[in-house]
Amino acid sequence: MESKTVIDIENISKIYEMGTQQVFALRDVSLKIGENEYVALMGPSGSGKSTLMNILGCLDTPTDGKYLFKDENVKEMTDNDLAEIRNREIGFVFQTFNLLPRANAVKNVELPLVYSGMSPSKREELAEQTLINVGLGDRMDHKPNELSGGQRQRVAIARALVTNPAIILADEPTGNLDTKTGDEIMILFNKLWQNGNTIILVTHEEEVAMHAKRIIRMRDGLIESDTENPHFKVK
Amino acid sequence: MKILFEIFENLKMSFESIIASPLRSFLASLGVMVGISIVILMGWLLDGLDNSFQKTFEIIGADMIYVDKWDWTGGKSWKLLRNRKNLTLEQALKLKENHTSAERVIPNFNQWGGTVQFEKETIEGISVVGAPSENQHTPAGDLIEGRYYTEFEDNQAEQVLVIGYNVYKALFPNGKAVGEIVKMNNRKYEIIGVVRKRGTFMFDFIDNQVFIPINNFIKVYGNKSRSVNIGVKAGSKEKLDEVRTETIGLMRTIRNVKPEAENDFSINETKVFEESIAKIRSIIWLAGIGLTMLSFVVGIIGIMNIMFVSVTERTKEIGIRKSMGAKKRSIWSQFLFESSALTFGGALISIVVCSGLIYVARIAVIKFFPDISEVVEYFPPYLSLQLVIIASSVSIVLGIFAGLIPAIRASNLDPVNALRAD
Ligand SMILES: Nc1ncnc2c1ncn2[C@@H]1O[C@H](COP(=O)(O)OP(=O)(O)OP(=O)(O)O)[C@@H](O)[C@H]1O
Ligand SMILES: [Mg+2]
Repeated sequence: MESKTVIDIENISKIYEMGTQQVFALRDVSLKIGENEYVALMGPSGSGKSTLMNILGCLDTPTDGKYLFKDENVKEMTDNDLAEIRNREIGFVFQTFNLLPRANAVKNVELPLVYSGMSPSKREELAEQTLINVGLGDRMDHKPNELSGGQRQRVAIARALVTNPAIILADEPTGNLDTKTGDEIMILFNKLWQNGNTIILVTHEEEVAMHAKRIIRMRDGLIESDTENPHFKVK
Repeated sequence: MKILFEIFENLKMSFESIIASPLRSFLASLGVMVGISIVILMGWLLDGLDNSFQKTFEIIGADMIYVDKWDWTGGKSWKLLRNRKNLTLEQALKLKENHTSAERVIPNFNQWGGTVQFEKETIEGISVVGAPSENQHTPAGDLIEGRYYTEFEDNQAEQVLVIGYNVYKALFPNGKAVGEIVKMNNRKYEIIGVVRKRGTFMFDFIDNQVFIPINNFIKVYGNKSRSVNIGVKAGSKEKLDEVRTETIGLMRTIRNVKPEAENDFSINETKVFEESIAKIRSIIWLAGIGLTMLSFVVGIIGIMNIMFVSVTERTKEIGIRKSMGAKKRSIWSQFLFESSALTFGGALISIVVCSGLIYVARIAVIKFFPDISEVVEYFPPYLSLQLVIIASSVSIVLGIFAGLIPAIRASNLDPVNALRAD
């Protein structure tokens, strides 16, 4: 069964100019991801995983190449279109969380809803429910610096999930979690996948990658391998 | 609805950001506060001046014109005026007879430098006005005690007297003047009326006037070498133009002025004061505007600077917001709200401080300068709603001005680069 393609990049490269030196973060990467796929992105540090995720999440623009998001060329989109996609279509979990330091957990999770124009009371209700779903029901009023690394990560995940986006891009979502909470989060992702969401997650743990149906390995800005997960089983 | 949520969100954010560093916010809006305060105080001062001028017009009569040998404006040379032929009572009566548009035509004579004496009290520097009984229909006819003389008493040239407020205060500090006999320039007169206080601090002498029947004036002081002053009452300000035109036409005919010659009389009216008042107003404005502009420039720079700092400090936050779907509009409006909230807050402080200043100034004038304490009446004890609205809207415009460039810079930040900032 061939699913509809939601992400289609062709010959994407990203070059950083560092003075006279050029850093090739991505070289000619091409990739298609269909609706309701479950992809794990792996590779050593510095291989370009975050760079690729930023581009897929419409946060960053490639130096070269073409990106079709749901058959539309991202290059031709206006700033407002991109903001709408980031707000409605994609839930992004950053490797470094990127939470608002002065806002508590609920306010942080509410943030995307603020920009989708939801009423304050509905926003709060939804944010609280999502925090409960990631197991943070008892830390709603805590600010990021009053939370542990794992708890911050879960706030960041809740923020990505709160708009119920079709595509979830998660950069090392279990990186700061102990095995038990990590497993819980992975169960959450599995559930989302079973509900029809598309999931792309970056990880360096083989165990985590085993949850995915497809595993992409990167090295030096190139895709080294792109295979079905032989051990994949629907749980 | 969505837009309301966004406005509410912006208001909340700007409020939180301002109270997060209150001292910094206060110092940043100091320049704007000074500028707004100048605008407020200037507006209040002009309001007060307007009120007192308005009062002055009421004394003279805003619907009256005066035909006179002399000119109020001082624009013409004294020699030219002196060489004019006197206006005679006969001419005034002819004008009265032929005028169709005026409500009343009232001639009067003036004698300066009189003295009025009652028992041991004397007041000098009195201006004796001889006018017909019709004069009671001009602003000088508003009495607080007694009555005006009748046409009959005028015709009989009776020795009756209507006194101005200063005369009343000087000679009858305990009240009750009507019925008393006073000596004016060594002639006995019976007081029959007292005119309400009319003068302001600028027009105090008007209350030194006393009024006697015009026929009595002619009998006592003569009218041979005097020029009559003719008050023409239009009845309303709207009719002034028509009445003035007819008056000039009639006077020219009556005085046989050749068609190509200039008028050999002057038309005096409150309009000439309005012109000089406009001049005073614009001088105050110019001085104020200069200071205001200066402090506004300083103020805008202060706010703009703090906004640039704010954008830099919150670069990461902007990156987070953008990556969560904030549009450019949301970002720049957030910063414009913040800068306007700063200036608007400054305006509110200015309004409170200026209200206090005004309150204290009025009390201080009454306490330390009792002589001119009546001035205070014309200067309102509070700021007018109009001034408050002007100050508030000006402050918001300033805030938008000051915040514009920082806000645009913030909204143009690239999300990934912004996220990388600490
Ligand atoms: N803003 C930047 N300026 C210059 N070079 C950059 C920039 N961002 C990333 N790079 C470089 O691009 C390459 C890829 O970086 P990226 O963050 O995508 O790696 P990664 O695979 O996510 O690594 P990690 O597993 O450590 O998170 C690295 O060599 C990095 O030094
Ligand atoms: Mg990374």
